[in-house]
Amino acid sequence: MRRIVLALLIGITSFALVVMAQNKKTSGAVPRASDGKPDLTGVWQGGSNVPGPWQEANSGLGLGGNGTNPNVPGLRSASERPPGEAAPYQPWAAQKVLELYKRRGVDDPVSLCMPPGPTRAATQGLFPIQFVQTPKQITILYEYMNTFRIIPLSSKHPDDIVPTYMGDSVGHWDGDTLVVDAIGFNDRTWLQGTGTFHTEALHVTERFTRISKDQINYEATMEDPNVFTKPWTIRSTIMLREGTRVREAVCAENNVDAARFQKYEKDGVSFGR
Amino acid sequence: MTRQLVAGSALLFLFAARLTAHHSFGAEYDATKPVTISGVLTKIEWTNPHSFIYLDVADEKGNVANWKMEGYPPNVLYRNGWQKDATMKPGDKITVTGWRSRDGTNWGQSREITLPSGKKMVFGPPAGTGDGGSSSVVEVH
Repeated sequence: MRRIVLALLIGITSFALVVMAQNKKTSGAVPRASDGKPDLTGVWQGGSNVPGPWQEANSGLGLGGNGTNPNVPGLRSASERPPGEAAPYQPWAAQKVLELYKRRGVDDPVSLCMPPGPTRAATQGLFPIQFVQTPKQITILYEYMNTFRIIPLSSKHPDDIVPTYMGDSVGHWDGDTLVVDAIGFNDRTWLQGTGTFHTEALHVTERFTRISKDQINYEATMEDPNVFTKPWTIRSTIMLREGTRVREAVCAENNVDAARFQKYEKDGVSFGR
Repeated sequence: MTRQLVAGSALLFLFAARLTAHHSFGAEYDATKPVTISGVLTKIEWTNPHSFIYLDVADEKGNVANWKMEGYPPNVLYRNGWQKDATMKPGDKITVTGWRSRDGTNWGQSREITLPSGKKMVFGPPAGTGDGGSSSVVEVH
């Protein structure tokens, strides 16, 4: 009995210490820019809520499993369904998404090294993101597919937008939240989860709220009346990764996978579900 | 106590990062066909969007086949402790766990590598990464 009580006490104390350590790490004050706005400048990791330097925060976890035991169940991939409601696709569009899911994502535009679009770029966790903030403009540099967004503040979308993968973004501050309005997308990206296609009518509204030194709360509302029955909102967190740098990563360097899928289809190799 | 620590650790795992992959490992490799191979490393391609290692593997009759195993891109590996041309080099005898290619060739997805020192390091993603997971993002009735 005494041993059980002792074990329980040790267990509770250990858990409390872990919680305290996590709270301590996330409770730092939000850095402010010279204009008083929260300063988002820094290198970050999307799709995580663990504070700390990259390797410590991931310690193999970001690679799936615990880094020493590959049998630990894999962590959720950004190609999987995000938490919350199902994506509100119109019935015909939902059927198309389901077909793409049944093909296990081989049609994913990023498998051709195409840019992922802003919502996917913000929620993936393998590659860092760098924010560069000035009073008039915020730039986001993504290691994933080596792409970027330039976000002028308090300005209007230009009149001569040509549809692109990452769209055209303008931002403004709503109190301490950076709100980014993005339009001008082509129809060649997936939004979040396998098969989540859209049309050029896509309108994305993102809200970045730095709630502590270590954490940005991310919310994206996606509207596309051609495929959705109502706006679709997803939420995630983005964590500061001091000491990490965004590096060059040229996807086209050795991309053999798309050709493999084509060969599978030609040879009749079964890969669907 | 051990169980409590295991449970606590399992809880912490739930807070880990969201993976993404450039392509569907789950489509290319068969998660129901795990494989463990040991052999001599012949080549390493530290390339994007994925790295590849090649190793000569002998069967019980002594016949040697060259296997190609896919893994994470270099930056992902560097951020998690790998060092190019240092952590492992051609000539090293290593063991690789992973999953076989769906076409049955000597090609696979790597997961964990056991280095000559006995140290184990993750080189590739879990089975099924990038294939959409266990449920679709839509609900079709």
